[in-house]
Amino acid sequence: MHSTVVRAQNVFGFFTTVAFAVAALIAFTDIISPRTPKASVSMSKVEVVRGRPNYYSTKKEEYAVLRFNLNADFSSLMNWNTKQLFVYVSASWPNATSSELTNEAVIWDTIITNPSADHLQNIGPAAMKKLKKSAIGKTTDPSRGKINLKNQKAKYQITAPNGKLAETNDVVLKVHYNIQPWVGLLTWTPQMEFGNWKMMKGGVSKLFNFPALKVKKAAESKS
Amino acid sequence: MLSALQNPRQAAAQLLNFGLILSTAFMMWKGLSVIADSPSPIVVVLSGSMEPAFQRGDLLFLWNRNFFEETKVGEIVVYNVKGKDIPIVHRLVRKFGTGDEAKILTKGDNNLADDTELYARGQDYLERKDIIGSVVGYIPFVGYVTIMLSEHPWLKTVMLGIMGLVVVLQRE
Repeated sequence: MHSTVVRAQNVFGFFTTVAFAVAALIAFTDIISPRTPKASVSMSKVEVVRGRPNYYSTKKEEYAVLRFNLNADFSSLMNWNTKQLFVYVSASWPNATSSELTNEAVIWDTIITNPSADHLQNIGPAAMKKLKKSAIGKTTDPSRGKINLKNQKAKYQITAPNGKLAETNDVVLKVHYNIQPWVGLLTWTPQMEFGNWKMMKGGVSKLFNFPALKVKKAAESKS
Repeated sequence: MLSALQNPRQAAAQLLNFGLILSTAFMMWKGLSVIADSPSPIVVVLSGSMEPAFQRGDLLFLWNRNFFEETKVGEIVVYNVKGKDIPIVHRLVRKFGTGDEAKILTKGDNNLADDTELYARGQDYLERKDIIGSVVGYIPFVGYVTIMLSEHPWLKTVMLGIMGLVVVLQRE
């Protein structure tokens, strides 16, 4: 009964029990820590152009290219169990037949790591040095949750499966976030209030329309 | 081994006990699978394409039911591609339409381009049925042992050997 193997088994068993209990406690602290995110987003420039999806494609489709302003305060989302905060801006628009926002595409995103997860970022050595220097001795840095972008170019241009986007009406930009914890449940922008987690204040732009196709100057003069 | 022959009753009890442990594990897996409506409710991350969120070896819990709303843009989903047997964990970045026919595009956070190149030949978008679950829970690193076992097959032999030795040597 008291052989080495049994002792080793007991020690390992106790270790896993304690590790999982502590992990569960840490995950639980997320639920009681308050979240009060707010954001405002607006479209600053939009145009629709024609292009190829990749250089070897013969098909031409329409692309909506956007610029937007974003002012967000997500500092309350950065607690000790936050590994990264994934913030993304999406554009939604209805189908021709309905007014429901049935199409959605991410146009811009960013990964905000807590200082405890900086070493995991996939960035160049100079940027990494700067990032680490910005939070020496800190494991959490709520100030990183503040975002202020003016006339920011979209990272991803918008496409549609049928290749048609020009003169689409009632497009709206929305800000979302996704919290990646060190351990526990992943959470997204809540659809309803839940305990200390408040809904996002703002975060939805005014409706706007995609303009008519922009014709290139050169093509215009040719025709 | 000799004592097992001398005491067949004890040997039978041990065999039954072993069978019980195996079937319990199997039923827990299948039960979880039914609850989450996913053929594989727990997956281990195999690539670094979602870094820094997920590293290799992290354990993910999946949920595949749409009680309140549809699977939407921004969720991290696990999907299968026709003709490839390795499930992929990536983020949903575009969705056109609703319901089962919605066209879905995914992208890894750590990848520059979207997943069009990863899909089957001639497939531009995923459908809801290609998705086997959305990630809802996360435990770091715990699944790394399965990566070790599949990358270094000799470890399986070593582990089986040690387990066999323990069974043979430990009789009481």
